[in-house]
Amino acid sequence: MGKLKEPYNLSPRIQWLRDYYFKGTQRNWNNESKCFTTGASDDVIYDEFSFYIVPEVHTFFNTFAKSFVIGAKKLTLPEDFYKRSLPERKAFCISQAITEHMPQEVLPGDLLCGARFNISVTRALNKRETKAFVKAVRGKGGTRERLIEFKDRGYGNCGPTSGHLIPDYPTILKEGFSGRRKYFQALYEKLTEDEKRGAKGNNLRAMMLSTEMPVALSKKYSEECRRLADKETDPARKKELTRMAEITARVPNEPARDFWEAMQSLWMTHMLVMTDENYPGPGVSFGRLDQYLYPYYKKSIENGEDREFLKEIVKCFFIHANTAYDAMIRTGTNQGITAGYGQLFNLSGLGKDGMDQTNELTYMLLDVIDEMSPILEPKPNVRLHKNSPEKLLDKVVEMISVSQGAPFLLNFDERSMAGMLREAKKAGVEKFIHPGNVFEYASVGCLENTMCGNDRSATVDCNLNLLKAVELALSDGQELIPYTDSVWGKPYTAKSAAPRTGDPRSFRNFEEFYAAFLTQVRYIVKEIVRLYNDADNLRAKYCPTPYLSSLVKGCAESGKDITQGGAELNFVTIEGVTFATTVDSLLAVKYLVYDKKLCTMDELIDALIKNWEGYEVLRASALNKAPKYGRDDDEADELGRKVMEFWSEECWKYKTDTGKRFRGGMLSWNYWIGSGYILPASPDGRKKGQFLSNAICPVNGADINGPTSNSNSVGKVLGGFAEKGDYMHYVNYLPNGASHTITLNPSVIRDAAHKEKLKAFLRGYIANGGTALQINILDADMLRDAQKHPENYKNLLVRVTGYNAYFASIGKELQDEIIARESHKSV
Amino acid sequence: MSDTALVLDIQRMSTEDGPGLRTTVFLKGCTLACKWCHNPESIACFPELQWHKERCIGCRKCMNGCHNGAISFHSSGITIDRSRCSGCFVCAENCPTEALAVKGKRRTVDELFKMLIKDCAYFGNEGGVTLSGGEPLIQADFASGLLRKLRDAGIDTAVDTAGNVPYAAFEKVLPFTDRFLYDIKLMDPARHKALTGADNKRILENLINLAHDGAKLWIRTPVIPGATDSEENISAIADFIHTCLEERIERWELCAFNNLCKSKYAAMGLDWAYNNAPLMHANTMRMLVSAAAEKFHSKALVSYTGAVQNQ
Repeated sequence: MGKLKEPYNLSPRIQWLRDYYFKGTQRNWNNESKCFTTGASDDVIYDEFSFYIVPEVHTFFNTFAKSFVIGAKKLTLPEDFYKRSLPERKAFCISQAITEHMPQEVLPGDLLCGARFNISVTRALNKRETKAFVKAVRGKGGTRERLIEFKDRGYGNCGPTSGHLIPDYPTILKEGFSGRRKYFQALYEKLTEDEKRGAKGNNLRAMMLSTEMPVALSKKYSEECRRLADKETDPARKKELTRMAEITARVPNEPARDFWEAMQSLWMTHMLVMTDENYPGPGVSFGRLDQYLYPYYKKSIENGEDREFLKEIVKCFFIHANTAYDAMIRTGTNQGITAGYGQLFNLSGLGKDGMDQTNELTYMLLDVIDEMSPILEPKPNVRLHKNSPEKLLDKVVEMISVSQGAPFLLNFDERSMAGMLREAKKAGVEKFIHPGNVFEYASVGCLENTMCGNDRSATVDCNLNLLKAVELALSDGQELIPYTDSVWGKPYTAKSAAPRTGDPRSFRNFEEFYAAFLTQVRYIVKEIVRLYNDADNLRAKYCPTPYLSSLVKGCAESGKDITQGGAELNFVTIEGVTFATTVDSLLAVKYLVYDKKLCTMDELIDALIKNWEGYEVLRASALNKAPKYGRDDDEADELGRKVMEFWSEECWKYKTDTGKRFRGGMLSWNYWIGSGYILPASPDGRKKGQFLSNAICPVNGADINGPTSNSNSVGKVLGGFAEKGDYMHYVNYLPNGASHTITLNPSVIRDAAHKEKLKAFLRGYIANGGTALQINILDADMLRDAQKHPENYKNLLVRVTGYNAYFASIGKELQDEIIARESHKSV
Repeated sequence: MSDTALVLDIQRMSTEDGPGLRTTVFLKGCTLACKWCHNPESIACFPELQWHKERCIGCRKCMNGCHNGAISFHSSGITIDRSRCSGCFVCAENCPTEALAVKGKRRTVDELFKMLIKDCAYFGNEGGVTLSGGEPLIQADFASGLLRKLRDAGIDTAVDTAGNVPYAAFEKVLPFTDRFLYDIKLMDPARHKALTGADNKRILENLINLAHDGAKLWIRTPVIPGATDSEENISAIADFIHTCLEERIERWELCAFNNLCKSKYAAMGLDWAYNNAPLMHANTMRMLVSAAAEKFHSKALVSYTGAVQNQ
């Protein structure tokens, strides 16, 4: 049985903070959600849009909507409250809630201030707005009803979700909020009087107001530190608290001058983004931490500060980031949900002229990850490229070998940058993404590549089951099975509105079937765009986030809130779910019906309707004999590439009314499990109720030729290579990248010589593979034991699709899945 | 026939067949028949049928497709009358679950080359392609053609051999082979003959010649319970390497007995003398490694690999 990775080299301070964190609900206080209301009887607090993409909670929307209001504390509103514009009302409410109603506490030994940021604050709507909003969301034909039917019929889900972006933190470190305020003031003064009275003026005033919030809150923390320092008897701690009082009195209002100030400024600024979005924002990410923090690190080292102490500050930062999970502290056993935060940061990577940018801070942060892991947040992404230094690869491989797999995600610059540059062309934003700055990309959420500080990336806002198009092509647009309302349990009676692509029994060859499939892909993309656009319009009109807007370039300049398309870059990703199941299903139709004629189309359709009952032999052929994606089989992979290219091109065609361009992505969070129960059996041999394929990974067990062939297939379907690629010779259809998880046999890390082999694999992946890779190294026996005795494995971390979760908390289905994958591995 | 070879299998991302990450191609047919052989399907020089009972769903498509009546069906699965099999393998083609599988397929150099270079990017500075078997040098002309093509493409090449072929076969591949992985199983000629079907005279002579011709060598010794696992045998091999090869080897691996091939024997309808043999003990392997290294200047040359049981 393998040994679990344990944290090491933790000072008593950090050990205590870490242990205390893991006490969960037994802590004296935590970061559970607190609600605040205007006091209006019909007040809206709960942000259901952010949960449209979380099907597990769809049935609780009414309950949440009510209970949030019932338990909410009333804010003190000024008399002219409803005369102010909505963004100003919103900024006012958030600011009052966090600065005046939440206590400020500092844990023993903690070196950073800022907790209890998880609050749900009234949408601050007036009567008229409330009525219109509630009707459009909850009424007949409203976004909620349509979204639930969309999900129930196996299309997927979508919703304008919070988080998933990288705010412009470096500017705050450099200028402080005081600098921002001055800048906004100048912009405001340039507005005409009409503009000042209109939306632009409202938004800018709200942003200016928002910049006061971190300052007011920091001041309170400063007072608390001073109070604690006064009564502290330990001189060392007294000194720390005194310094913390000084720091919080200064930042984030003023520029940071050293590493401690920078970390405090960063945490406070970041934490309040999660406050502003009313949900501990999934995927609010830090960007290239080792790059923009480096000057402060250098300064502190030059000032003679101890590197170990600077590490302590980073470790406190890690603990603070983990408190995002307190939002779900009592319900955190639901599949996937516990893993939903994804405050990412990137390390290393290319710079200008192909130079590697690894620095001392990169290694320091890697040390912190190594010493602290297993821990969930923040999530590191290490960027690799063909000039990555040996020392970095050695460290990466060493960390993979002592942890249970990689305690970080690996990002691959060449393929990733190809995607970003393709995006620049497709969306006509070469002004903001070009060869001179593309290397500044970073990742949000799980692995989604975006630009930093100016990109409303909205990754995972749309999750579309590509397999639905196969079902529609097989049914002349009419669906193969009846679908049921997940809230009321009633069958849907409305007929499918999908195009009639013809009775597939009359198709003479695979090409005709494939053409029908493409028509259906066009349709399902259009449908998700339509649904998303309606919800996005509502968010833009009723749910401003002025604080976040003050932190994203373009919003102040355009006088638009970020929800209204204010950022310089505005995108919505449609994540293609079930890619491999879809490709394998097409391959199986071709093989079974047309190439080998093992059955007629009529028989295949009957088999799928009957969930393969009575068709066991045909199903065995589909599973075992039909070609599959993920084996480095050029023909199969070429079909995969064609599907990828087509569907990504379809996505580029659309924009929201707020000006956000759609783009294709490939990430499945946990939908490949849930949708597996909804969608009918598929031609690849999958039964209804079996899982779908995950992100860009081959169907589980299909990659019989091992990790290299699997990786080659991934690279090929992303576009492979071309003489004139998007970046160098790399082509990448998916600008956000694609989630790829590989489980390696422990033999690749068993000794020094074998670690070199793992390095060789990584170098190969840089050349041939995809954009991002999660490496797991697990053995089945350990997992089975963990399933039986979860109490012994509380810290066993598994990573799936680039999100990580504690094994004990992910639910039996996913556990079984991971065990099955482990057991199939050749020895 | 040197333009095609009978290929058993290709394994990609192999970490155990030479330096770096490698793609290993197994050619079918062997001049030895070691009693412990863990690739029994690699011995015969013709394609063979395997039946994996656990995959069979009893659809009878194999039986119905066989023109020779070589397959019969009964309550516990199928029986193959191998004497009536003409080798058309329609049965395997028909089998929807791949319970029936054909081992051995003829491939040309060009076909193989295309498959072997797919992982080029992962080979890095050290990795490459290993030609293994069976005994790959039975098909020496083919091997030479393939290795030359790989070498021309700048790919590191290795040949994994049991050595029981004429030296002329080695001479054909030597110019295009970066490294030989060479088995020494037993020093006692009579026991060698009894357990592998041939004595070791030619094997040892070839090895001395190779060392003199400057080949890079990795020696491998399967450590088989009751057969090769005596300290005496290991010490005798160490003596040979020390005196006859003047330690001109890069490493010597003691490969602990592997019992995972049990199911392979069952699939081929064969009994296996080592069906119930236990894995080697870790302590025994450590002891053998130190016995082996005792005579060497560079102790680090010797190591053991494979699954072992801990006391």
